[in-house]
This record gives sequence, C-alpha cells and structure tokens, in this order.
Amino acid sequence: MEHYDVAIIGGGSAGLAALKQLSNLNKQAILIEAGKKAGSKNISGGILYSKKPKHGKTFNVEDVYPEFLQDTPVERRITQYMLHATSRDKVFTMNLTAAHEYQANFGYSVLLNKLNGWFAKQASESAERQGGGIVSGVHVRSLNWQNEKTVIETDEIEPFEAKAVIAADGVNSELAEMTGARAKFTPEQLYQGVKVIVKLPEEIIEQRFGIGPNEGAAHLFAGDVTLNHIGGGFLYTNLDTLSVGAVYHYDSLMERPSEPYTLVNALIKNPLVAEFIKDQVAVKEEIDKNLPKEEQLRTRFAVSKLIKTWNELRDSYHSRAERKKLIESGKYKSEEEIRARLDYVQNELATKYYTKFVTDYVELEYGAKLVPDGKRCAMKKPYYKNILFVGDAAGRGIFIGPRIEGLNVGIDDGVRAANAVARAIDRNNFSTQYMGESYSQSIEESPYTRDMKEIDKDYLKIFLDAAKDVPKDIIGQRYGMVFRLMSSGTLRGLAVGFANILGYDKLLPLVESEDTYVQVPIELAEKTGRQVQATYEPTIPTIAQRIAQLKYDDDRVSHIKVLNPKSEFMKKMVTLCPTLCYSMEGGDVTLQHEACIECGSCAKETEWRHPRGEKGVIYQYG
Amino acid sequence: MTSTTTTKDLNVAVIVKLEPDFSEGNVSYNADGTLNRAETKSILGPHSAIAANAAFYAKVKYGARVAVGTMGPPIAESALQQAQLLCDADELHLYSDRLFAGADTLATAEVLKAGVSKVEGDGKVDIVFSGHRASDGETGQTGPQTAWKLGYTFLGHVIDYNVDLQSRFVRAKRLISLQGFYDIIEEVEAPLPVFISIDPSYKAFFNSVSQRLAFEKYQKEARSRAENYKQFLKVLNTQQLGIDPKLVGLPGSPTIVYKVERIPKAKASRKSEVIDGANRDQLTRVAANMYEVLGGMVIK
Amino acid sequence: MMSKYQHLYVVIEHEDGVPVPVSLEMLGEARRLMDGFNKRYSSDEKVVAVVLGHNVRKLCEELIFYGADAVIYADNPELRYRRNLIDTKVISQIARSREVAAKFSDTSEFVKPRYMFFGADSIGRHLSSTVLAELESGLASDINKLVIEDLEIKHEHKTKGQAMKYEKTLEMYRPDFSGFLWTTILCLDNRNPAIEREYHPQACSIIPGVFAPIEPDTSRRGAIVDYVPEFDERDLKVRILDRKIVKSAVDFDSHKAVVSFGKGIKDSPEQNIKQVAELAKEIEAEVGISLPISKKPFPVSEGINSTYMIPDRVIGTSGRKVAPLLYIAVGISGAMQHIAGMKESGFIVAINPDENSPIKDECDIFIRGRMEDVIPLLLEQLRKQRPIIEVKK
Repeated sequence: MEHYDVAIIGGGSAGLAALKQLSNLNKQAILIEAGKKAGSKNISGGILYSKKPKHGKTFNVEDVYPEFLQDTPVERRITQYMLHATSRDKVFTMNLTAAHEYQANFGYSVLLNKLNGWFAKQASESAERQGGGIVSGVHVRSLNWQNEKTVIETDEIEPFEAKAVIAADGVNSELAEMTGARAKFTPEQLYQGVKVIVKLPEEIIEQRFGIGPNEGAAHLFAGDVTLNHIGGGFLYTNLDTLSVGAVYHYDSLMERPSEPYTLVNALIKNPLVAEFIKDQVAVKEEIDKNLPKEEQLRTRFAVSKLIKTWNELRDSYHSRAERKKLIESGKYKSEEEIRARLDYVQNELATKYYTKFVTDYVELEYGAKLVPDGKRCAMKKPYYKNILFVGDAAGRGIFIGPRIEGLNVGIDDGVRAANAVARAIDRNNFSTQYMGESYSQSIEESPYTRDMKEIDKDYLKIFLDAAKDVPKDIIGQRYGMVFRLMSSGTLRGLAVGFANILGYDKLLPLVESEDTYVQVPIELAEKTGRQVQATYEPTIPTIAQRIAQLKYDDDRVSHIKVLNPKSEFMKKMVTLCPTLCYSMEGGDVTLQHEACIECGSCAKETEWRHPRGEKGVIYQYG
Repeated sequence: MTSTTTTKDLNVAVIVKLEPDFSEGNVSYNADGTLNRAETKSILGPHSAIAANAAFYAKVKYGARVAVGTMGPPIAESALQQAQLLCDADELHLYSDRLFAGADTLATAEVLKAGVSKVEGDGKVDIVFSGHRASDGETGQTGPQTAWKLGYTFLGHVIDYNVDLQSRFVRAKRLISLQGFYDIIEEVEAPLPVFISIDPSYKAFFNSVSQRLAFEKYQKEARSRAENYKQFLKVLNTQQLGIDPKLVGLPGSPTIVYKVERIPKAKASRKSEVIDGANRDQLTRVAANMYEVLGGMVIK
Repeated sequence: MMSKYQHLYVVIEHEDGVPVPVSLEMLGEARRLMDGFNKRYSSDEKVVAVVLGHNVRKLCEELIFYGADAVIYADNPELRYRRNLIDTKVISQIARSREVAAKFSDTSEFVKPRYMFFGADSIGRHLSSTVLAELESGLASDINKLVIEDLEIKHEHKTKGQAMKYEKTLEMYRPDFSGFLWTTILCLDNRNPAIEREYHPQACSIIPGVFAPIEPDTSRRGAIVDYVPEFDERDLKVRILDRKIVKSAVDFDSHKAVVSFGKGIKDSPEQNIKQVAELAKEIEAEVGISLPISKKPFPVSEGINSTYMIPDRVIGTSGRKVAPLLYIAVGISGAMQHIAGMKESGFIVAINPDENSPIKDECDIFIRGRMEDVIPLLLEQLRKQRPIIEVKK
C-alpha cells in the first residue's frame, strides 16, 4: 500500500491553502479532490477578504501564496459596499463601505472555478516539488485505523495510508459523518445560499456602477426581496459578469419554504436590481416553415453563428484588454473599426434575418450551497484522532449582519492546520494531545474564532454611524433603548461587554430576526426611500432552463437515498431543493432525478454522499 | 527536440485527424446544404482524441515515448497541438504535400506507414494507436490498412490494454458487438509491435495515487509543450518520407467519389402535430408513418 | 474472353457455425446482383461464400440454400475465433487462388475476385480493410445500396481527362452519418498511362439490416470447396485468452426503433409495461425507460422489475443517448434530461394524456390520450399495415 505523510481531503480554498502551506514548510502532502479538477465543484457568494485585525493575526491569502498580488486570479477589488432596504419600487440606500473596509487589507470579488483553479496550480506545483500533489476525480469512501496506520479507501483508486489527515471537504463533510467527529448540521445552524451569474460586458459594468477599471461594487439587499425570510440578497460585480444571489437562514426557510429559484427571482424582479443587470440581447426570429428544410437548417446555423460572432465582438469591444488584443493581432486597425464591424454584423442580423435587439439580461450559471453559521455550529474542538477539520467542514463560517466570510476563514484554518501537522511530522507525534490540541489552540487564537463568539464594538459603531440618516422613529420603536445605549461611546463599550458575557446566542434571536431583515427595511424604504423605475421586464429563465444550462457528468450509481419518505422534513425538500430533485408520489417523497448540485440541503434526512470521482455537477464559474 | 522523460522501454505513436466541428455555432453550411468547410471550425477529431488518451496511459504507466502524426494540409498542425495537450507528445509529425490530395484510405495508409518509420529511434514503434473512425469520413479503414502495411498485428475495438515490458507482449480487452447476438469482451494477447484501434468507450484508468500524480505531472508538461508545439514538429513531404508518388494521393487511390447527393435531416426542435388518441383514422395514418420511417433504409 | 477478375466473394461471419444475420443479407443482395449481372452480360459468374472457422461444414450447405453458388471454407481449430492477422492472410490466400476458383468455374485466367462483400460490423469493418490492403485494391465501407453499371468516366487522374468506358462497375452508395450526404464510391482501374494500375476486387462492407436474405431454397446445389490454410508461426502467437459474453440484454444500437415509457404507467404499472413491450415487439423496437423508472417507483412483479426497470435501459443524460429512426415516448412528460438522450431520433411520437407536457415540443406526432387506451388501438393499426418487403428485380 502506498503511504503519504499527509492526506488533505477536499480541494476548496481551505484544503488548497493547507497544501500550499505544507509545501512552504517542505512537507510532503497529497490532496484528494472529488471533482474533475479543483474548483469545479465550488461556489461562493463571493468576496475574498484579507484582514489586518487589531488584535491577533490572520493568515491571509497573500501570505500563503506569494504570487497572489501579482497574478490576481480575482475579479474586481470592491471599493463600494451598499446596503439597500427595499419595498416594491422604493429603495433606501445606506453606504456601508466603512464596514467593508473595517480591519481589511482588501476584498476582491471572486469566481471560484478560476480562483481555486489558480490556487490548485500554485499548490500542486509546490507540492510536487515535495513528492506530493493533487489527485482529482477521486472520492473518499471510508477511512479507518488499522495498527497505528490510517487507511483511506476511495471509489476510484487503491487504498493508501496517511499519518495525518486534514478534512477540508466542506459543509457536508463526509469525513465528519463517517468518523462521528461531529453531528450533521441542523437547519438552525445553516444558511442556504443561491445565486446566478449574469453576463454584462466589462465597461458596461464600470459605467453602470460608477467604478473604474480595477474597482468593484458590492450591493446588499434586505426588505421585501427576502420574501419574509431572514437573510438578504447580494449583487457583486465581477470582471465581466455579476454574481446575483441571496442567503437565508435555513430554519427560516424551513418554517415557510420558498423555492431557492423563487428567492433569487424575487431579487431579479426588484427594479433596482433589474436596472443593474440589464444588457442588450439578440433574439432570434422564428424561421419561416415554408422554406425548404435545407434552407431552414442553413438559416438556423447561419443565424447562430452570426449571433455568436456579435456577442463575442461586443464583449471584446467593451473590454479594454480584449480591444487591445484584437488590434495587436492585426485583425482590426482601430477601435472604430471594431465598432464598425460590430454595427455591420448587427445590421446584417436585423435586416437579413429579422433578429431583434432588446433589453433583457443574460444568465450564465445557476448554483446553490449551504453555508455553516460559525456562531452556531463551529466545532469547539475541530479535530478527531489524527484528523484536523478546517473551514466549512468545521462549521466555521462568519455571519455578522451583512458580513459573510468563509473563504478567508478557510484559508486561515488551512494554514493553522498545516502548521500543526508540520510540527507533528517533525516530532513524529500525531496524537490528539500533541497535534489535535495544538491545532485547536491555534484556532482559538484566530481573530475569526473571536468573531464567532463575541460582538466587536468597533464594528458595531460603523453601523450606528451609517444608520445616522435613518429616521429615529422607525428604529426607535423597536430598538430605541438599545440604540440610545449604543450611540454613546462609553455606554456602548459597557453594553457590548455585558452582551458578550451574556453570550451571542442570547442576543441572536433579537438581532437576526424578521424585524431586522424584513420589516424594518420595508418600513425604511416605504417611508424614506426613493422610487426606482425598471425600464423593462426581465425574462427570467425557468428552473428547467437553469438546470439545462449546468454541466453534469452523471453517475449511474445513485448518491442519495431517502431515509424517510413520509417525514415533514422531506416534504419541505420538495420545495427547498434548488434543482427540484424531489417530488411527491402518492404520500411519499421520491427522488425524481439527480440533477443535483450537491448543496446538501437534504442531507439531514437522507443517506447523502458526494457523487463519485469526477461525477456530478461541474461549475463553469462557481 | 528530444524530450527529457523518455524510457527506451516503450515507444508508441498515435495517428490523428483534423475534422470539422459539427456543433452549432461552429458549423457552417452552404446554400445547397453541404458542409462549408472553409467557414467551419476544425478540431482534433473526437475519436483521435480518445486514441491520444490511450497513448497517454502508456506514458503515465510505463513512461513511454509518444509520437503523434497526421496527414493533412498545414492547418492540420492544430490537430497535432491539441493531441499533444492530451498525451504530452514528445514528437509531432505533419505529413503534408499537395501530392497527397484526394487520397482514399489505402493511399493515406501508405503515407502514414512511411511516417511511422520516420519516428525517432529508427521508427521502432511498439504500439500505434488510432481512433475508431473519423467523424467526417467515417470509413474506419485507415487504421487497419496502416497496420497492415506496417506489418503490425491489428487489434480493433480495444477498451483496455496493458503491456508486459519484460516479455514484450500486450494484453488487451476488446469489445466485439455481434449483430443479432450478444456482445463479447475478448481478452487477447499479442507480441509487440501491435496496432490498436481504440473503441469509443475506452477510458484510461489510473488506479493509484502515484499514477494519478504522474498523470498530473505529465498533463502539466503537456500544457507547456503544447504552447510551443512547433518545437516538436517535423513536416514531411513525399520525398522526405521516401514514398513512391504513384502510391499516394489520387493516383494511389483505388476508390473515387463518383457523385454526392444531399439528404437533409432536420435536427431542430420539432413542431408536433397533435392527434386524438381515440381517433382510429388518425392512428391509421400514424401507423403508416411509422412504417414508412422504419422502412427508410430497406430496399422495397 | 475470360476475365482475370471473376465472381463475387462474400466473406461470411458466423458464431460457431450460426451465421450472423448480415451474412445472409449479403448473400441475398449478392444473389440479386449477380443474377442481374449474368443476365445482362450473358455470363456465368458466381456468388462465392468464404467461410473461416472450425466445424463449419454444415454452415456451408446452409449458405448454398441462401444463394451462394459455391462455398470455400477453411476449417481449422486455429480459425475458430476471429483474429484479424490470421484471417486476413487466409482470406487473401483464398482470394488469390486460381486453384480454388477452378474448382467451381471454368477459369484459367483467374487472378482475383471481381467483387467482394464484407459485413460492416465490429469484425467485418476491420477485416475488410486489412484484406483489401493486402489485395491492394479499393474498399467502400458502410454501404446501403449497390448497383452494377457500365459507366462513362472522365477523371483527371484515372482517365487522364479522357472519357472512358468502365464496364461492370459496382456503384457503392454510403450514407454520410453527419446527416447530409449520400456518397457513391467507385473502385476503378487507373487507365492513365503515367499511373496505370488495376484495382480489383471492387469491395465494400455492408450495413447490417439493410438488405434482405432470399427465401432459403433447399433445392439449390453448389460446390463446397475445402481450403487448407497456411499459417505463419509468428501469427499464432496472437492468442485469445478469454471470451466473455456480456449480457447486454439491452441493445439500442441494432434496433431501428425504440419505445420508452415513463411515469405515465403509474395507474397500472404491470399491465402498462406489458403493453409497451408488446408495442415494441410489433415494430421490433428496443425498450427504454426514463430515469425515475430505474429507481423502481412502482410495485411490479420480479420478472418485469429485473427486465425493464434497470439502469441499462435508461435513456437520457444519466443513461444512453439514442437516435433510432423511430422513437416512441409513452407516458413520458419530457424532462430535459430525457429529451437530451433521444432528441436526435429520426421520427418521434409521443403518447401522453397531457397536452401541456414538455415533450409536445420535442416530437413530430403527439397522440393525446392515455396509454391504456391508445396502445391497443395503435397496435391494431400496426398489425393491419405490416409491410411486405418486395425485392427489386
């Protein structure tokens, strides 16, 4: 049997950071990823932060990957961060850029297929120099201990041994489940996030959002767009796409189930959002059925090709870098020439083939996932025997008001775990007392852990300052006393200290409530908001169309088994599964098809596994 | 350019073809319905790609040296580049000459056989791989005919293979479909050299961590090589291949295309005719339609 | 004047003495062609079956009944299973043997056959390629129409631009599977003095299921010639170690039609599946299922369960992609994944009571109704109209 010092299971941002760090420390490690390549199964909101906390230290992405700031495998650097309270066509906007910049070096919008792909390239190159590397398309099936050795069995390759294991396999960690290291997360501990990637040419984004070439905007939404659920919507600008989605408390969704796609649609229908995402779209005209079949076919292919050309040319025209490339390649002499060609193609389509050019928006990819709320489910001792748990697998996601962070936490965890394992290798001691405990202590010291346990009064102050313009009567009704308290510096310090003694969990129901995310914003918008008019009605794809757009490599072997087809929980899954995998047959909930995007929403009452190696969904953007 | 990761133990070659990309958005048709090759994008043929994957298995598992060759016009270089990306080829051959034009499979096989003999190492290639068939010509003849001219044992429909480097034997599994009977999986053993025609269902399978890591390593090498593929490329014409011009191109082709007729086939989404399932007359017509469709290929 | 090239050799495929259907189909077409040929040219060329195998004497007689004028067979334990290298050499030896040809025809000039047929299947396609490489002549594969004609050809290379008459040319038609072209291939001698060369036999591999065998005529007689093959020592090193019959109970590829069923069977699953099977049998279709069915959602007998509700029958992105000439979707609503697996079928018929099902936009004929009602009626019509295949004279 082959053996390796360290096996990292899961090639997300956390696992990859662990691999890179171990290589930085000259240790041999292999990383096992179930997807065809690392990054193909990851999806994020998402923004990647680098922090400079006042107390303590976080291991940031640029610390682990020296080339990060040079290569920047990211989308845009977020420079604007706005929160909108919505009610129908009225919006009240608060500028929270200070909150975004609080203790941060930067925050970049990211797409995980690209980002994790880059991490994987860096990490595997370093790992290979140490005799290790990344093995993709392999799904770990079981793990057991035999005579001091940890044997890992997979669906695809022969078993092998490892001395230490880092579990980075995400919120639905199978390693956690198969070892019993922790219980499966329950709805109150989770958020369900859903998003769509919207296409929008680069310079149009910059014009629309009032940002420069390397800048980005983040917009958050609360109010009626939430359909009365606890959580909110978001819209982040990527280089030439937008990430538009929503994140809601899973137990709030359980109480009153809404389909995930309905939730994201509610956001898209909001006039402010609709105006943000709109673009010019070519609509094919129906081909005359009276033409001979050959002519119909020829026309169909000709139109498709022309529209493809138009889109490609238009995207290039609106991108600084692409325009430059086109001119350098000699294909065009100037920008005017590109514009002229674009107009020509558009004209051809319109006059010869009756193609219409309308205002609408274009979706590229739909996705969803569960996110753990660290405040409620972070593992206190994130290890089990010689397995260290990192990131989402350890339940360590940060949710504080609008502040949602997971990528940077995972990277920080990954580095701490790598450090602990490296020490263990040096001492050849992988016991829980030496390795597990040292990792656990390191985690305790992480500023992120502190954020999961205590309120940061300085962060709180930012909100209070931002809420200056909010009419007191709206807030005052509910939080009057608290507000007055918090507004005074000294009292605030005392109050927060007291609150922290009481404990986050006592305060949470007050703060994370429908009032905060739904009612107050609605009132704010109604009473003080400005009116926003949508200039068109977005054509929203059906869920079937969204699923059809996704790429899958279907596995013949099923990876989900319904345990109790009659339970209330499963009945709700019929609504809550983002890809309609469940339906009611008679009185039973049955698995209709497996266009699963592996979010894990149904994991609680099913025998749920990730699909086998390379199988399942493959995200293009992530 | 000589490669750095070769073993003298196993030398393999792959013959590939550049083919039209039939997917929507890339394909173009003329007014008369025939393929407009000039406007249609060309890609490495899908079966050629599978053959390249099979060769890559030899590289990962046995450290084999891989050469890829194709007969075609200068643009066929891109097929070689795409193939190199798949199999980390150490050597690329383009057999190009105006004299090759119009070649049928026999004349093509003559060129390919000469090409294999020009592979570094005196042309001592142990295994030659080819795809099952080309997506445009689709005869499936070129592979076996090349094998025959080389004098190599031909193994078709291979779904799995392994090599015993000591005894110099290859063991392969073949999938044979017998019309009207059943499928047979045959395990066959043959001494090297052999010519393997890869079945479309072939999937290279690497079953240990170390093989997977080797896979990644060679993939990475393949990517960097493919970016500079021209450094690995040799372009050879009739003279350089040492072939008799009478045996190649149209002159060397027994068969010619005499005429071409068009069969339009609409693959578009359909507009259906709705009929009442209780209406006997309409069902009669449906039944007739069905038989007409089924009888389409039968000489009445 | 006797030609150097005579007769039509048909390479027969069989499994332990039982002929594969395409073998009899080829003989049928060969018979029809050569009857026409002999009449037109007042000649007496033969349809000659070539058989390699072990214990195949009985098969030879059968082949005469199916239209062969003569059968050449090589019987040897080494020839029991097909090995391309050995088979190619033996068939080529036979093809070149004047001695053998003399056993069933008057010929002192015989060099090679005039025409040769092979089956276009796993074995025949490759075998035909190597045999023709050895015989140094031309091959057209996947043929579904054949005509023998005297043609006037003007070709830049073959005739140096002059118009020349090529007699007894075999026109070989092959459908281009990209869906657009029906190409006619000819194998012609080079009559250009610069590159003069004779190319015979004119050979092709024939698509199974296209032609029809003749009715076996037990009164037919013909020569059965035993050929003793010569083997190369080295070639015998190619050994078959194992042969496993793979129970592909499901074979979509060799069926021209597929009938699939989905959750529409739910009202009486056992009964409905049996009906669907009957419909399939009537039009010689393979049976497919939609994905949910493979999860066995309805209670049925063990037999039905293990025959039909199996993953191998699933059509869709989770299963097989099929493109038969005729596809009938029974009780299938048309989920995206299923459509992706069958939308390239030639002609699609859907049977469904709900006119709003998505499949309505993906079929050619939508029969509105419950399968319990529609299938019996449809079966009735199909039975009434079952076509008789006529032979073109």
